[in-house]
Amino acid sequence: MLTEKTLEKIKQIQKNYHSKKSAVMGALMAVQRDSGNNLTREDMDAVAKILDVNPVEIHAVAGFYTMYNWKKPVGRHHIQVCWNLSCSLLGAEHLISHMEKTLGITLGETTPDSMFTLTTAECLGSCGTAPMMQIGDDYYEDLTVEKVDKILADLRARS
Amino acid sequence: MVNIKINGKELKVEAGKLILDAARDEGHDIPTFCYQADLMGIGSCRMCLIEIEGQKKLQPSCITPVMDGMSILTDSPTVVSARSSMLEFLLTDHALDCPVCDKGGECELQDMVYKHGPHTGRHAEPKHRHHGKDYVLSPVIIKNSNRCVQCTKCVRVCSEIVGVGVLGSIGRGIHQEETSFFKTYLDCDHCGNCIEVCPVGCFMRLPYRYTSRSWDLKSADSICTYCATGCRVVIEERDGLLVRSRAQLGVGLNSETLCARGRFGYDIVNSDDRLTTPMVKKYGKLEPATWEEAFGAIRKGFRSSSPARTGGLISPRMTNEEIYLFSKLFKGPLQSNNVDSSMRWSPEAVEGFAAATSMTAGGVSIFDCMDSQSVFVVGTQLSDENPVVDYIVRRISNANGVQVAIASSRGMKLDSCASQTLRHAPATEGDLLGAAALLLADKDAVRFAGNADFNSIKATGIDTLAARSGVSRSEIEALVSSFGSSETVGIIAGTEFLRFPEGSASLALVVEALRGAGKKVTVIPVLDRCNQRGAWEMGAHPGLGTAYSREGVKGLGFAGMMNTASEGKLDSIYIVGENPVVEYGDGNFARDAIGKVGFVVVQDTFMTETAALADVILPGVTFAEKDGTYTNQEGRVQSINRLLPPPGDAKRDLEIISTIYNIFSGTDDVPVKKSAGIFAEIREKVSTYAKVDLSFNNEKNTFNDLDNKESLVGGSSASLSMPQVTGSAASSLASDGHAGFTLVTGNHLYHSGRLSLRSEILGGFIKGAIVEISEEDADRLGITSGEKVTVAGSRYKAELVLKTRKGSASGVAFIAENYNDVPVHKFFRRGESVASVKIARS
Repeated sequence: MLTEKTLEKIKQIQKNYHSKKSAVMGALMAVQRDSGNNLTREDMDAVAKILDVNPVEIHAVAGFYTMYNWKKPVGRHHIQVCWNLSCSLLGAEHLISHMEKTLGITLGETTPDSMFTLTTAECLGSCGTAPMMQIGDDYYEDLTVEKVDKILADLRARS
Repeated sequence: MVNIKINGKELKVEAGKLILDAARDEGHDIPTFCYQADLMGIGSCRMCLIEIEGQKKLQPSCITPVMDGMSILTDSPTVVSARSSMLEFLLTDHALDCPVCDKGGECELQDMVYKHGPHTGRHAEPKHRHHGKDYVLSPVIIKNSNRCVQCTKCVRVCSEIVGVGVLGSIGRGIHQEETSFFKTYLDCDHCGNCIEVCPVGCFMRLPYRYTSRSWDLKSADSICTYCATGCRVVIEERDGLLVRSRAQLGVGLNSETLCARGRFGYDIVNSDDRLTTPMVKKYGKLEPATWEEAFGAIRKGFRSSSPARTGGLISPRMTNEEIYLFSKLFKGPLQSNNVDSSMRWSPEAVEGFAAATSMTAGGVSIFDCMDSQSVFVVGTQLSDENPVVDYIVRRISNANGVQVAIASSRGMKLDSCASQTLRHAPATEGDLLGAAALLLADKDAVRFAGNADFNSIKATGIDTLAARSGVSRSEIEALVSSFGSSETVGIIAGTEFLRFPEGSASLALVVEALRGAGKKVTVIPVLDRCNQRGAWEMGAHPGLGTAYSREGVKGLGFAGMMNTASEGKLDSIYIVGENPVVEYGDGNFARDAIGKVGFVVVQDTFMTETAALADVILPGVTFAEKDGTYTNQEGRVQSINRLLPPPGDAKRDLEIISTIYNIFSGTDDVPVKKSAGIFAEIREKVSTYAKVDLSFNNEKNTFNDLDNKESLVGGSSASLSMPQVTGSAASSLASDGHAGFTLVTGNHLYHSGRLSLRSEILGGFIKGAIVEISEEDADRLGITSGEKVTVAGSRYKAELVLKTRKGSASGVAFIAENYNDVPVHKFFRRGESVASVKIARS
């Protein structure tokens, strides 16, 4: 069930476009933000009804982009480490295994306190500042092990 | 025109043409997966890459238009090696389980790798697997995504052509899977077009699964025998069982598309309930008999009845040859004009409809109709009754920007591509079109001065007509102005004009007014039985002879025969392929009336309720077991070919009818076994069929040249006048007292008459009878889709499942005429197709 607040947000997003269908991405993002960083099948169904499109089209949009979390639930902070060529050459894999160790999880898993989920991403278009990762909406660039430790500690402290 | 070079040869081609088409026209073979002429080009499979001299990267020819001065190479070493590499890529994750794949032997990927591909693989990595076991997606679809080549033709055909859009591409890269919303069981049209367009074994037919390898099948070219669209199918058998019916790319007006009925309704042929032996009533009981006994009984039975007291009813699903001979039998040796082929409709309704849709002027191609600037769909539940016409209208209107207006009382799938939808009250097509005709004729009053139909609607007035139809005057004005701004207008008019014959006169006026205004008007009649048009043109009508010529003496239509029979004045009746006891409006009346006929002969493929009343039952055959021709609604004459022998002792219908003909003519004039001889006679005797071309190219091809106009019937010299029709539908509602909903009927998407009910596959799509109302009405009643409701009229009451339909007019209820357990005609007065009913939760 979508909350009143989310429904209102979707209404606002729709105003930016000529056709209802164009609001799919914004609407999905609004729903995901308001429901604990995750999208469920019921959410997609609800968005489909509001925007008057077939549910499978919503599913196809959500399935295409890595920013929608629907395959399995993710934690509060979704860490996506780029492991394409530039980042890998500059140590992405090393960062990943470091994070696996410090968070006590393996790739694709979520910490027991639902704070972090660690996944990889294909090129995020920030090769000039490799290695890099995306957490939520933010890019963290020119990473080192120390930087990563600090970022994770900050995030944990903030929440 | 631009100048280009293909493989060194200089050519002039149309500007904007795709390189792929230009090269294929020149006979160069360019392989494709994702390209299909009818679908939007996406250029994703990269099989069609070609080299353009001067450009470093290869270009996809299926989305690149030609440009002046281009020099194109389709077979250069770079192109050949790119093709091979693309196939190697596709094979890296392809399951390669050909020995257990249903598609093995007719797989485009197999063929392509054989021709263009690498025959060894270099990848040692494990393949990506989407899932383990194949999963079932609908009663007819089983899916294996591990074989997918991601051409997305299934997704595109589903949304662009069929218009339901229940498939999507989920995920990306190698993880992309074409499937339903969270792989849920599909609630769609079950047309199976996704299966047909799939180049590999990803979407597969569940009923056909593991029944045969493609090379073990025997096949024949045929026509789908449900609605009158006239779709080309290939039927295939193995070990005497029909196992598949499929369409071919670039063959027939339907190309690769079919609806659920055409693709999955074939299994009626295999039914265990088929009639296999003649039966003759002995001491009040039907007993199996020999053909000699059956023909002997017929000789005796018909001899003792007088011509005026003899009648014949033949199904519009029979072939032209059979119907021609049947009419000739009655109008010749039996000397009776009591012949009909439209049990549900009056002979006058037929004449009016044929006149209004200019059927006498000869065949008109649907593609010519869609070539108009605006197209008006009226009096037809197109998306349900003629799904493939719905596909054609959707495809062409979206591609060419044709303005589509739809007038109907129910919502339909096609509404989504219409620029205007008018929702009128049931049975008021005549009022709506009358108002439109008055608006159109405003400037051309002289033309209609002496026209009685025009004067009568003029006396009623636009506002009264609009009010009766429930459509506002401004909406009708918008419709008329959309006609006004177009030089060419296509009109697609359907069976509602036969159900409510008052509408035909107004339709004719609209057509005349538009033609008067100098517009090119193309009218396509839309019918729901495969050979209804052919039946009329072969003279299976009490008032009309072949090619709409007027009979000197008017015989009785089926309703007339039943009235005569109920008075005990019909001596004999010969019914071929129809089941009036359950399909004629007021079945009980038909049962009693047929019971009073002295001698009843029924020829059918199944033991029907009507056959049970017969004195002699003659087992005929289905379309898969005979040859002949059908004339579709456009007037396209196409042939069917036999694939199977008749079951048991059954005989081909033409053989039965010609034997009976020879009995009564006392000669051996008519060849008993061959249909070709009869068609030669039709060519000779029916002027409009003289030049019809039956030759047909059944080669699967990649071109989209579907319109074989040579097979359209010619124009007739006969002219039909608009007959007076009696009995207004509105009067029936008034006398019923308006009780909430107006009940109307028509065909269900999955069914056509009662014949398709014998199909087990089609039967699996719907459970039980459905009554359909608009979403708003359901909300108002507080009933949700899927609940059981009681529908009560003044004559009949039944319990059905309620379903809502988007976009239907308020106050309209619909029950299809196809349910055995809820015979909808019981709600109606005899001869009418509209009634008042109440709907409440049961």
